[in-house]
Amino acid sequence: MDTTALVSVDHFRMDFGDKTVISDLSFTIKKGETFGLLGSNGSGKTTTIRALLGIYQPTGGELLIAGKPYKVDGSVKLGYLPEERGLYKKELVLDVMVYFGELKGLTKSAATRWSLDYLNKVSLGDHAKTRLDKLSGGQQQKVQLGVTIMNNPELLILDEPTKGFDPVNRRLLMNIIEEHQKQGATVIFVTHQMEEVERLCDRIILLKDGTARAYGTVADVKKSFGGASLDDIFIKVYGDPVGQETF
Amino acid sequence: MHNLGTVFRFEVTRTLKKRSFWIMSLFFPIAIAAIFGIVFFSNRATHEASEQVAKQSFSIAVTDTSHLVAPALLQAIHAKVVPDKQTGVHEVATGKVDAYFYYPADVSKQTIEVYAKDTGLFNNNRYQAVAQALLDQSVASTVSTQTKAILQNHVAFTTTTYKDGQVYNGFKQLIAPGVFLVLFYILITMFGNQMLTSTTEEKENRVIEMILTTIKARTLIIGKILSLIVLALIQIIVILIPIVILYLLIGDKLSLPNFDLTNIPLDPVRIAIGAVIFFLSFLLFTGLLVAIGAAMPTAKEASGFFGIVMILIFGPLYAVTLFISAPDSPLVTFLTFFPFTSPIPLLLRNAVGNLSVPEALLAIVILAVSASVVMAIAIRLFRYGALEYSKRLSLGSVFGVKRKRIQ
Repeated sequence: MDTTALVSVDHFRMDFGDKTVISDLSFTIKKGETFGLLGSNGSGKTTTIRALLGIYQPTGGELLIAGKPYKVDGSVKLGYLPEERGLYKKELVLDVMVYFGELKGLTKSAATRWSLDYLNKVSLGDHAKTRLDKLSGGQQQKVQLGVTIMNNPELLILDEPTKGFDPVNRRLLMNIIEEHQKQGATVIFVTHQMEEVERLCDRIILLKDGTARAYGTVADVKKSFGGASLDDIFIKVYGDPVGQETF
Repeated sequence: MHNLGTVFRFEVTRTLKKRSFWIMSLFFPIAIAAIFGIVFFSNRATHEASEQVAKQSFSIAVTDTSHLVAPALLQAIHAKVVPDKQTGVHEVATGKVDAYFYYPADVSKQTIEVYAKDTGLFNNNRYQAVAQALLDQSVASTVSTQTKAILQNHVAFTTTTYKDGQVYNGFKQLIAPGVFLVLFYILITMFGNQMLTSTTEEKENRVIEMILTTIKARTLIIGKILSLIVLALIQIIVILIPIVILYLLIGDKLSLPNFDLTNIPLDPVRIAIGAVIFFLSFLLFTGLLVAIGAAMPTAKEASGFFGIVMILIFGPLYAVTLFISAPDSPLVTFLTFFPFTSPIPLLLRNAVGNLSVPEALLAIVILAVSASVVMAIAIRLFRYGALEYSKRLSLGSVFGVKRKRIQ
């Protein structure tokens, strides 16, 4: 694994009006590793990703990808599956995939070829000329995943990727992540599903109230919490449902 | 901007694939054809019916106290002359004659009275027509052909005007620069709503985050605007082709005014001014509509503002006579230079030729600055408003507190 930092977040602070969402956050993600950005709803995970991708302007600090603030026409090939998902619903599946492929730098023929191969692979070969809104929710998720990875991204950011996924798509997603891991891609996995984190991630950061409560390899984090499972660590940090600490 | 072509192609292609685009495009010429058809067949039917009515003979009684109606005419149509109105009305009421006309002593001050047997709403008109014809022909027979032509408005005029020592045809002069006024009107009325909702689609479909991390907001918006311009031109061509074909096929049967459109003067300065004003006005209002669309959470909410923008653009049309007759009045000056009301006054005044070059240059500068500012605001609103999926975005939140929280 190449240990060069592909992503670095340094003293990141984010305020929305009077409210501070991220107070002081620093971490790095090495090239080629799968990194888990963990935390409960409202902990600042999505805000951090949006600031990293230039959608939000940070109040303070620096968020860099390959040493520079992210730009859409920069050198790093990005695949981003946002938490809020959707595509052009009134358009044909193939048209939308080819459009995004071209926007991501593929030629039209390459984007078409890749899209048709992918659709066949995920059993949607017969739906290339179907309007997106005629597909089921699960089928639309498959298309969205395809759009995310079609440029063979060096940095794959998946924000709550399993949210709303059925078991078939969840398996597909895991396969995709593993495939990209093997190809050397850097993966940022934003989630609160600890089971998947244990299976896929090399290192993690656990956020609460905009600060890091745990950071390191999965093994190191577990060790620092007395060998507990990630689920237990999560409950320890956030408190159990009845408000009693487990540890 | 390397993705501009991709955005442009995608937007144009997907719109051209929509049935609604073609239905909307073809509806206009079909509606025009239908109106032409109705007018054509209605005129023909009316003409035929009038001829039939004219051929129908009916018995007439007349009392002429004006002494204007020629006795020879009355004799020719076998009209019965009765001494007074009471007798004439009685003849009709008892069915002895079909109609009775009473001509008063002074027809310029008193009413000609017609009493007749009812033959239906349409056919009843023939009685008055005959009463009028009797009077017209009687009077016409007493004057010369020239007097008759004057009285019947059958005299022809030609007017030749001069400007700077040259023959100047005001109507022909306004055609070339006036094209921009017509084009602007058509583009805004037909595509305004589409401009307004063009960016709400990304928001409503939740595709915006993927877009903003793939291309620049500016590229997307400019690509959309360019595609709208091209689509509008395609639509204009689609609308015009059937109208031109229809005109060439049956134009001579439609009794349309006969304009001589040969030798249309082309004033390069006015045409250039018209083109620049048209382009900047289009940019300004596209930016304004895109900005409103970007600030609204849904297309439905954005559409609510469409009427306000239309009033700004087309409201000045109510002062159209003022633009021509009093171009130096304070109201015209205000409407000409206030950017949101300026397109119609500027294009109209440029077309009729009362917009001076210095005035045009000043207006162009104002429009260019306004269009740039509005486009910049639109792009910024799109960037910051794009993630506001469920609520309106205020300008204050974008320019005061820049960062908005989503969840």
